[in-house]
Amino acid sequence: MSDVQEATNQLLDVNLCENQMSVQVTESGPRSESEHLQVTIGATVPTGFEQTAADEVREKLGSSCKISKDRGKIYFDISVDSLAQVHCLRSVDNLFVVVQEFKDYQFKETKEEVLKDFEELAGKLPWSDPLKIWKINTCFKKKKTKRRKINPNSSKEKTDKGQGDTTVEKDVKKEFTNSVSDSQILDCYENPAIKEEVSTLIGDDLTSCKDEAEENSKEEADSEVLKFRVTCNRAGEKHCFSSNEAARDFGGAVQDYFKWKADMTNFDVEVLLNIHDNEIVVGIALTEESLHRRNITHFGPTTLRSTLAYGMLRLCAPQPTDIIVDPMCGTGAIPIEGSTEWSNCYHIAGDNNPLAVNRAANNISSLLTKIQVKEGKLSLGLPIDTIQWDICNLPLRTGSIDIIVTDMPFGKRMGSKKRNWNLYPACLREMSRVCRPGTGRAVLLTQDKKCFAKALSGMGHLWRKVHTVWVNIGGLHAAVYLLKRTPQSFVHPSEQDGERCPWYKDR
Amino acid sequence: MKLLTHNLLSLHVWGVRPCGFPLHLQATEVHINPVEFNPNFVACMILKVEWEVLLEAANSLHLIKVPKETIQGYKHDKKFLRKRHHTLLEVDVLECILQCPESGCLFPISHGIHNMLETEI
Repeated sequence: MSDVQEATNQLLDVNLCENQMSVQVTESGPRSESEHLQVTIGATVPTGFEQTAADEVREKLGSSCKISKDRGKIYFDISVDSLAQVHCLRSVDNLFVVVQEFKDYQFKETKEEVLKDFEELAGKLPWSDPLKIWKINTCFKKKKTKRRKINPNSSKEKTDKGQGDTTVEKDVKKEFTNSVSDSQILDCYENPAIKEEVSTLIGDDLTSCKDEAEENSKEEADSEVLKFRVTCNRAGEKHCFSSNEAARDFGGAVQDYFKWKADMTNFDVEVLLNIHDNEIVVGIALTEESLHRRNITHFGPTTLRSTLAYGMLRLCAPQPTDIIVDPMCGTGAIPIEGSTEWSNCYHIAGDNNPLAVNRAANNISSLLTKIQVKEGKLSLGLPIDTIQWDICNLPLRTGSIDIIVTDMPFGKRMGSKKRNWNLYPACLREMSRVCRPGTGRAVLLTQDKKCFAKALSGMGHLWRKVHTVWVNIGGLHAAVYLLKRTPQSFVHPSEQDGERCPWYKDR
Repeated sequence: MKLLTHNLLSLHVWGVRPCGFPLHLQATEVHINPVEFNPNFVACMILKVEWEVLLEAANSLHLIKVPKETIQGYKHDKKFLRKRHHTLLEVDVLECILQCPESGCLFPISHGIHNMLETEI
């Protein structure tokens, strides 16, 4: 079957060469109806990085994005063929397919009337296409060893689909499952695991995939009812109902309509009801677990989300052969994200704490193991190195580094505000020394904005602030600063006339 | 530690002119890890690194002889670039002692991770 072969090849291409993604809406040959669908996909991204995510979508999928007023969400249209590529996006946390969007929903006056409207709404929405997408999507995802889900291939087909289409779809999906299980996009492990445990998890996983594929026919005869739940997010001041009430009533109507079983923990389908003032979006989730925990197996006390790390790296536009350093790497989230996505640059991760350095090294070796399992060939090294050093005295040559990206200690969970008063200026100075004058840049994340502003104010001759992104990190209002290194070369204080920053002298 | 990193390392005492470059390598365990070959990357890196230092480091590890001079039109000579790529990225020093030429301080590398904290003095 040439159709299936083509589709399989496309999938494999996508998995193996991420950097060469191009959107191919191939018109060649007859395809089953479902693959010509255009769908609207919504994605949650770290707040503040909506524009960066929109840029990534435009670059990798060729679609333009709509950034919603509801902070942290973007929407874009793609054809079903590109669904696998959507999972390769590095700046999004969670994905969902939009069932319907109401730009200006008119809420009735009383709570009862509003809730009744929601119940009636459930039956009127165009569910069939999004559910098709959801089914295709479930084939891509990793089959978790923890939760035994009912294979979606066995679920009851919608009443309006003809038998012919059903068979073709199922065949296509079986092919997908078999080929994808070898080169699947493995989700990140849930527990910080030592190397041996990690390999076992992967081993179990692959066996379970093969088992499930074999048991396909058997399971089809088994229970066909899907389990679902409704999650409602509500933001806005003029609503007379709560998110729980909306979820409950909407969920009740969905259950009546589809005859699915409601299950809050062990669900197959997650229906999203997002309400922001007068804007309502109904969607079906495509990711079970947020994609932000990829790459990291050994977590530290303040590990940065990989999606945020990606956003920060993208902000400084790394060029090929740039040398990128994270002098306070912690668990190494930023250099590891960088070495997978920008493998034509060289990354160095450093920290003064031996625990952190060890965790970073462990994360790198877990990643190498993961890549080896995924691609089934001898793992190639990554362009990354780990060093234990003191940021106030970096053992690097002057002007040798192109980019510095780091998550500075906020002074809350790590370090203290008092220490920051000495640390920040010393950091900035040392970073300006190693950074290449003229072309060098730095992207720094911090919540201690006051201290940072003061530290920066004394260094206008070395650093120029170009851009600020306001982000929300676990409830804290933090900022990501993009700095450019001025062309002025670094002069040692011994060659100057005893000029010192006033707050550095005394504690 | 890859040799590219070694090329960037230099001891620097605050307030004094930078010293301590290059660091002497005394390696006890070296691995060769294949890394994906990217000719453009290597060609551009050649301009950024200090080649004499790199060659000296490679020689001290008793590796295959790397050609000293860059030949004309090296950007298109795949063989030449491959050899340089091997030296830059594929040699991984796992156990070693680095010594600062000026102060004589020793910095160990263990399991591929350097410890460059000044407390080693």
